[in-house]
Amino acid sequence: MPTFKVDPMSRIEGHLNITCEIEKKPELGNEYFVTESRASATMFRGFEIFLNGRDPRDAILITQRICGVCPNPHAMASTLALDDAFDAIPPPAAILIRNIVDSTYYLYDHLIHFYLLIGPELGVLMGPDRGAPIIPPVLGNEGIKQGIGSHYYECARVQRKVNEVVALWGGKFPHIASYYPGGVLVEPTLERVADSIATLIYAWEFIALTHIEDIKNLIEANERLKEVTEAVLGARVGLEDIGVGNGNFLCFGMLPQPWNYESDWLDTSRRVNSIIKAGTWKADIGKRPLDENKITEDVKYSFYDVPDGLHPWDGQTIPNRQKPDAYSWTKAPRYDDEVYEVGPLARMLITQGLEWRVPRIHPVTGEDYGDFVYTVKNPKGSVLDRVVARAATVMICANAAFDFLKELIHMGNGVSNINLKPVPKEAQGRGLWEAPRGALSHWIKIRDYKIAHYQAVVPGTWNWSPRDSKDRPGPGEAAIQCGTTWIPTLNVPQIANALYPGWGDTVADALTKLNPKFANLNMEKTEAEEYINATIPLLIVRSFDPCLACGVHLITPKHRTHVFEVSHGLSSFI
Amino acid sequence: MDIIKVFAEAKDYVHINWLLAGGCTGCSVSFAQTVEPDIIRVLTSIIAGNSGLPITLPDWWYVVHPASGSLGTELIEDWIKHSGPGKKIFILEGVMQQEGFCDFGGRDIREWVKESAEAADHLIAFGSCSAFGGIPHAKGNVTGAMSLQNFLREVDMSDEAERVINLPRCPGHPDSLVQTLVSLIQGVEPELDGYNRPLAFYGRHIHNEQCPYRPFYDRGIFANFGQSVQGCRFRLGCKGPITWADCPTRKWNKGRAFCIDTGICIGCSEPAWPDGEFSPFYVELSSLPTVLSIPAETWGTAFVGAAGATIAIHAIHKALTKKKKEEGKE
Repeated sequence: MPTFKVDPMSRIEGHLNITCEIEKKPELGNEYFVTESRASATMFRGFEIFLNGRDPRDAILITQRICGVCPNPHAMASTLALDDAFDAIPPPAAILIRNIVDSTYYLYDHLIHFYLLIGPELGVLMGPDRGAPIIPPVLGNEGIKQGIGSHYYECARVQRKVNEVVALWGGKFPHIASYYPGGVLVEPTLERVADSIATLIYAWEFIALTHIEDIKNLIEANERLKEVTEAVLGARVGLEDIGVGNGNFLCFGMLPQPWNYESDWLDTSRRVNSIIKAGTWKADIGKRPLDENKITEDVKYSFYDVPDGLHPWDGQTIPNRQKPDAYSWTKAPRYDDEVYEVGPLARMLITQGLEWRVPRIHPVTGEDYGDFVYTVKNPKGSVLDRVVARAATVMICANAAFDFLKELIHMGNGVSNINLKPVPKEAQGRGLWEAPRGALSHWIKIRDYKIAHYQAVVPGTWNWSPRDSKDRPGPGEAAIQCGTTWIPTLNVPQIANALYPGWGDTVADALTKLNPKFANLNMEKTEAEEYINATIPLLIVRSFDPCLACGVHLITPKHRTHVFEVSHGLSSFI
Repeated sequence: MDIIKVFAEAKDYVHINWLLAGGCTGCSVSFAQTVEPDIIRVLTSIIAGNSGLPITLPDWWYVVHPASGSLGTELIEDWIKHSGPGKKIFILEGVMQQEGFCDFGGRDIREWVKESAEAADHLIAFGSCSAFGGIPHAKGNVTGAMSLQNFLREVDMSDEAERVINLPRCPGHPDSLVQTLVSLIQGVEPELDGYNRPLAFYGRHIHNEQCPYRPFYDRGIFANFGQSVQGCRFRLGCKGPITWADCPTRKWNKGRAFCIDTGICIGCSEPAWPDGEFSPFYVELSSLPTVLSIPAETWGTAFVGAAGATIAIHAIHKALTKKKKEEGKE
């Protein structure tokens, strides 16, 4: 069977390559489809090792550097773990400030994913006439600001504006300086609140009036895609049919309300009053409460000589590169001994179920632009549902940021921002939060005032985990080989012309204007020297918005070819 | 100075190859926060790479580049081979490591970096990882994490190592990169300090020359955990007294704030960071700035003595007011 490889992958965080085995399906227009895939990320720094022996408070600043795209959630999970270990419940103003920082941070993160990372491919699918598609092929600094490039341009501005608000409360972005066990170090002043509101209005308007409309246009364009696939493949294949998951979703919740913080938020089996709720979702039975004791990590195919099924509290990391059958530096996190997908779709399913409704009421003028409403197209997960879930989350976060800011105004100047506790001699703590890419947990043990054990179970390990003790693949791996990953032999402009006559010529012109080689965008050669188009597997991978610095390493046993030299003492993959 | 105008006049476009080694992408994200000019202006007006989409991008910059896979590696190879007009600038983000910890396009990143460094007219280490080793070279470093300069020396490329311009901080400050690019395009080599850092960004001491909270220090008014947010952050562990960078005056994210406004400085621009005197972050420096590399002619022993005295006076004052407060409660 032919194979092809995409290495490296741009527009994701970090280093990833994918290899796919493909096969012609006579029942689907005799076109190529992926039958097996492996995704491999190879970058290791050893964060958990250099945390050992340090002052526990250092963790808040150091773990942010695991990932410069999602530093805030790492700061948050780390701070929550230290709140727990220090036995320091933050005062309401501190909870609000943390929420303001993280909800505004989410706006930057999800918006750049849609416009700058996955956007260029989605823009081709959306075609020339749907308002302002995402692809900005018009070159030059004037062209970029108008017409079909303008939303890309606007997004680059908006992400910068929202990060100004993160900086107001965090000192700078990336890598903030204001979180501390038991609260925050930044002073809650009305000046900061006013400045934040003034800066965020522009972002709110972009999200409500431009981004949500772009999403609606994408959903509409998806119907056109299905018409084309019906003509070519004899089956309607839309974005809701590709990158299909297994229907199990897990979310830790985020943005807690300051009231009932102890009973609702600290008890992770509740978390029903937070803006994003915690729990699990199964396509057949719906929502269940979260039980953090059910989190375990398998290592059957991971390079570690430790027992399967350990909870992160007891997690051990004794590396063994020679371990038979192992193929990954990532452990395989499982929940209740099952495979779970984490990320934006998990957040929306657990918070709102299958029918989503997010208000669009202007936070200053009060004008109602109508709710954003969406019914989940594929309850098992798909490229489309993941993309739309991000947009819904962004709208929720934009609304929430204003609510938190307004609540802080009511508290007035000079309220307490910290419940200060000394560094404990012996303690342990855990922090469960949602990074944009999914459920994130930090687990710390303190001995003799120093960090003795630090484990971070990150979204990348959930979504890109290797096979587990029962040989079940992780969610990302399964999504690429779910059966509908079409590998056309037509190139990107040809596909675009099939979607909208003439559109491919426009795309080709823009692509090749500066460099003729861009006619081959996303084209790879199989071992049989045949050119194939790898756009759809790239779309699937990007629909998870993978963050490799946070920890991915996945190769199927069949293709165990990766060489990874390791010195002793290597104990985890972050 | 109108940076855009300068670039427009230069016309000698630069070709940029921006690689990620053992990094977190934070420096790329930080670069995207540039304000004047903004990132789109930088990419459309300044950099004319060989890419066509979505705007004039660097020849290679993994974060937003349209190309993946074999086209991606081909573009980097083209950059390495390129000998036409325009300068070639190599930007490295992330730390260099021993073999086997970072693969890219089917090869170890070390090979790409060697070839890129050799081909480049200018080398820039953006962010503390590539400049000095950063967080990954902290105690417990098991991957042999090191700076770009140390890596180049290790592989017998000392000449290239000497040419590296270090732009540390975690993440790198977007202004430091944009303005360094401006001077290089203009044919002006920035003046560097002993660690190859441009003096324009790292030539001034945080605590002694710029910090807006310095007057509090001089008056002995200190922020204390849980007691007061007002005052100098020295007692919270601020490493401003041993750090050289222009954060207090340049600030971050459109000049909105810098770390000390909302917490402490952890000294991320310094070679020894995050260990040595910089650790632990939230413990106050054990000695006053006598051991620092402060020019003696500026800050003599008399000053240090005076500062020590103000701290002592402050401590007594604090104890007294605390006692008064407690008495008041009774």
